[in-house]
Amino acid sequence: MSRKEKNINRIIFIVLAILAVIVMVPVVMMVLGSFKTQAEASQFNLALPTEFHPENYLYVLKKGKILNGYKNSLLITIPAAFFSIIFGALAGIVLSRRQTKLTESIYYYFIFGLTITLQTASTFALFKVLNIYGTFFSIICLFVAIRLPFTVMTFSSFVKSVPRDIDEAAIIDGCSFLQMVFRVLLPVMKPILVTNIVVSAIDIWNNFMIPLFFFGSSKKWTVSLTIYNFFGQYSREWQYVFGALTLTILPMLILFLFLQKYIVEGMVAGAVKG
Amino acid sequence: MRKKSVYPYWALLPALLIFTLFAVVPLIGSLIFSFSDWNISRFYTPQFRGITNYISLLSDSVFLHSLWNTFLFAVCTTALKTAAGLALALLLVRRIPANNLLRTVFYAPCVLSVTVVGVLFKAILSKTGLLNNALTAIGIMSTTDWLAHYGTAMGAVVLIESWMWAGFNMFIFISGLQAVPKDYYEYASIEGASAREKFRYVTLPLIVPSFTVVITLGISGGLKVFDIIYVITNGGPGFDTQVLSTYVYQSFSLGYLGESAAGSVILCLIVTLVSFLLNKLLVNKEVEA
Repeated sequence: MSRKEKNINRIIFIVLAILAVIVMVPVVMMVLGSFKTQAEASQFNLALPTEFHPENYLYVLKKGKILNGYKNSLLITIPAAFFSIIFGALAGIVLSRRQTKLTESIYYYFIFGLTITLQTASTFALFKVLNIYGTFFSIICLFVAIRLPFTVMTFSSFVKSVPRDIDEAAIIDGCSFLQMVFRVLLPVMKPILVTNIVVSAIDIWNNFMIPLFFFGSSKKWTVSLTIYNFFGQYSREWQYVFGALTLTILPMLILFLFLQKYIVEGMVAGAVKG
Repeated sequence: MRKKSVYPYWALLPALLIFTLFAVVPLIGSLIFSFSDWNISRFYTPQFRGITNYISLLSDSVFLHSLWNTFLFAVCTTALKTAAGLALALLLVRRIPANNLLRTVFYAPCVLSVTVVGVLFKAILSKTGLLNNALTAIGIMSTTDWLAHYGTAMGAVVLIESWMWAGFNMFIFISGLQAVPKDYYEYASIEGASAREKFRYVTLPLIVPSFTVVITLGISGGLKVFDIIYVITNGGPGFDTQVLSTYVYQSFSLGYLGESAAGSVILCLIVTLVSFLLNKLLVNKEVEA
């Protein structure tokens, strides 16, 4: 690298570093604010707290029902991600490996689903008619249905790059179809599997709309809803709001830092495949 | 006799059943009930009313304004996210110190939940919020309530959405830029191309696929926007920042199910049409490396 180029890179670094600090300002304000007194927290600045109040968190944990929110979010995210991936993989593999008129039409039927938007009123009616309104089951089914077009599409396009010889070898060795998929194909397709796990989990976990529309009872609220409601109740006591927000964000940020490679690659690959 | 296929059709059933029942049936339901006087008190006995719901939507100034806002939001956020993402990518493919750390920081906002982001920005944009405090600190007295006026509220929501997703687009562009063969640039240098010409005639044409992804995702996501608007402005002040999704939700929660269904149908049609046309248009511009 030439001297001139090095200097340019240094200037770019300084500009980007300043930008990065600005990007982080909201998060810094939140973490600092969560340790402040009510008066200091509602001044909304980046000053360090003059008195340190970690007990704010105890209050939030007791009153905020954040842990209950976590439990509910997990109860929805894990089964919804799991079933959308398993059903999507099975369908994607069959649709891609069997090239018939029928499979082609079914493939496009799923692809059309990528642009379907949430039909609030009639989904509500459907849940009522099936008598499952307000249950975890109904929400999980809805998430699976919404995620399926993406999983079907990604698995179906990825399995094309897996040689058919592998399938044939597995069958000759006496595998059934399901054994072939779960013991042979899915392990080979690990990259797209990881992509789908990451994209589905983040998408379902962060979704605010569906639990808001279709959960009547606050006992079943997910983290996002719990936090929104907590803010509504405590909008004057920002030290608690900041504490609740930190408790919501922190686990996700830690998870993100550890799984960063998979998350970034997964989401980007997902977007490019989508 | 035909050999039985290794790939049985029954493996399609779980996906087909759930997708049909919970995604396609509601869409068909919306189509049918959007032509009826369906509401909460006649939940099981809606009557056919023709296109009345569509007419009343299209003559409702709040609906038309929310339609305009939806497009405005989709176009502005896509433009900003794309430009910012591309700029960050072009700077960060260079050998900058702390490259990975910077990429991480710019990417991080998009894994946060919109609710958290929304509440945080309420603290920043309120009358006594962080932004006004900062402006006052550098000598500009400001007591604007940024979310209380249409222009600033809409601008704020657009900027926040772009803040969240610029880093995501950055990674898509970085992977696009890294796929451009190095010798193309060397060849262009030998031909005497300037840095700007290299960008215009080598880089840009070859990263069109990245643009396709970023723009299609941006527009279709922007048209569907719900949570960031709902959390930050709740469609306000008044109905000024209402978008289609929040409008549909509002008429749903007021019990006007037929109108809500008609709104959902219109939104779905717009998203489908726009994504399809956009994808066609952009894919045609792609060239082989």
